[in-house]
This record gives sequence, structure tokens and C-alpha cells, in this order.
Amino acid sequence: MLILTRKLGQAIKIGENITVSVIDVKGKQVRLGIQAPDDVTVHREEVYQLIQQQNILAQTSKDFDDKELSNVWNRIMGVGEEDE
Amino acid sequence: MKLTTVRFGDIAIEESKIITMKGGILGFQHIKQYVLLGRSDNVPFQWLQAVDDGAVAFVVINSFIVVHDYQFTLPDKERMLLEIDSSDDVCSFSIATIKSKPFQVTVNLRAPVVINVKKNLGKQIVLKEEAYPIQYRLVQSSQAVKSNNQSFEAEKKKISAIETVVAGQSGR
Repeated sequence: MLILTRKLGQAIKIGENITVSVIDVKGKQVRLGIQAPDDVTVHREEVYQLIQQQNILAQTSKDFDDKELSNVWNRIMGVGEEDE
Repeated sequence: MKLTTVRFGDIAIEESKIITMKGGILGFQHIKQYVLLGRSDNVPFQWLQAVDDGAVAFVVINSFIVVHDYQFTLPDKERMLLEIDSSDDVCSFSIATIKSKPFQVTVNLRAPVVINVKKNLGKQIVLKEEAYPIQYRLVQSSQAVKSNNQSFEAEKKKISAIETVVAGQSGR
């Protein structure tokens, strides 16, 4: 891994089109400004991890079948009606 | 072709309906091919069944049925990857996390599985739109979901191109 030290207001370039600059430093928090083309997606790493975890949770157990799924749906509809 | 699945046993699928998932589903990147298993009853859930692994299947729901004004900008890179010429060819599915308690059933609106129904190409896309939650409780809009489900004939027609109806045939 490349490790660089930067001061407030300084930046790094990644390739020709991406600039990451240090906007602010407060204690253990660093604010970064990222300039990148529209086709480059930038997300906090946690977002990816959360989505991965959610997908694993969503992967239902093997004995959960389609009939169960219909029952779950009917229960969801039941809740909606009680609210009205 | 025949597909052996854990939940539906042996099912016949048309090879022309196999969806190639570009980059896979996060956490399941080793699985590249899926089929969409639809149903004959009015339950709006469908299954995204892995072709390569009969045990892997996700419960999905059309994102526009959950939130009728669901909207996101597809970056050019994703557009090219999925070979999208017209937004009319695009379907968006949200992966549902099913629990037996209705209040615990959530759908992931932040990272929909976007499918080009003309090219059978799909990808789970992490949206820039941070307002869409990863865990959206389905009961919040259960009545809206019900009416959207009934009025979404155009969406259903679009989906029918890639769907194999196997579920919900045991009667209600």
C-alpha cells in the first residue's frame, strides 16, 4: 500500500481525473473532498460492507420455502389493514 | 434446460431467460448466473434463483411496487456495462430480507438489482441516493404495495420476458 502524508488543503491525484483533498482535520476526523468523473462511484467503505451483510442476511435458510413466503406476505398485508 | 434447486426441486428453465449478473451480488460474487422465478398468485415477491448453486436464492420485489416514485440516476459506466439503450428495458428489484414477524421484513432500496430485460444483464448497484435505506420496513407501505402491485401491469409485462413462473401454484 502506498502511504502519503498530506497537510490541510493538500491533495493527491489518482490517475488524471481523480483528486482527493484534505478539507479539514479535527481530532481523529478527517474531511476529504473527492473530485471524480461521473462514471466513478465513490462510497464510504461501510456502505459496501452493510450491503454485503444485508445480502447474507437476506439469503434465507434452505428450509424456508415459497409457501412460507406467501404466509409472510399475508401477515404483512394483515398489519396494514389493522393500521387503518 | 433442467435446474435442480433446493426450494423448487427440478425446474425447467429456458436458457434465453438466464440473467448474467455483472460483478455478482455483493457477498455472492462467485455466482454469476440467475433466473427470475415468478409466481401465478398475487404475492409480489419473486425469487432470484442462482443457476450455479441450487441452494442460493434471494427473495426480491420490484422496487417500483414498494415505492412508486422510486428514482435513481444510473451512472454512465453502469449503463454501458448493462448495455442499456432505453430505460424502458430496465427493471429494478430490491432484495428482501424475510423474517416471520411482518415488522422485521425489510427491503434494500439502497442497492437494487438492476436488470436489462432485453440483454439479460444485471448488476447490484449501490446508489448515490443516500435517502434510500438498506433496511426499509415493508409494512410501512403495505397498503401502497398492494395497490401498486395491482396497477403495475406495464412493469409485469416487462418482467415477463425474463421470468419463469414456478411459484404460487399450490393455490392460496
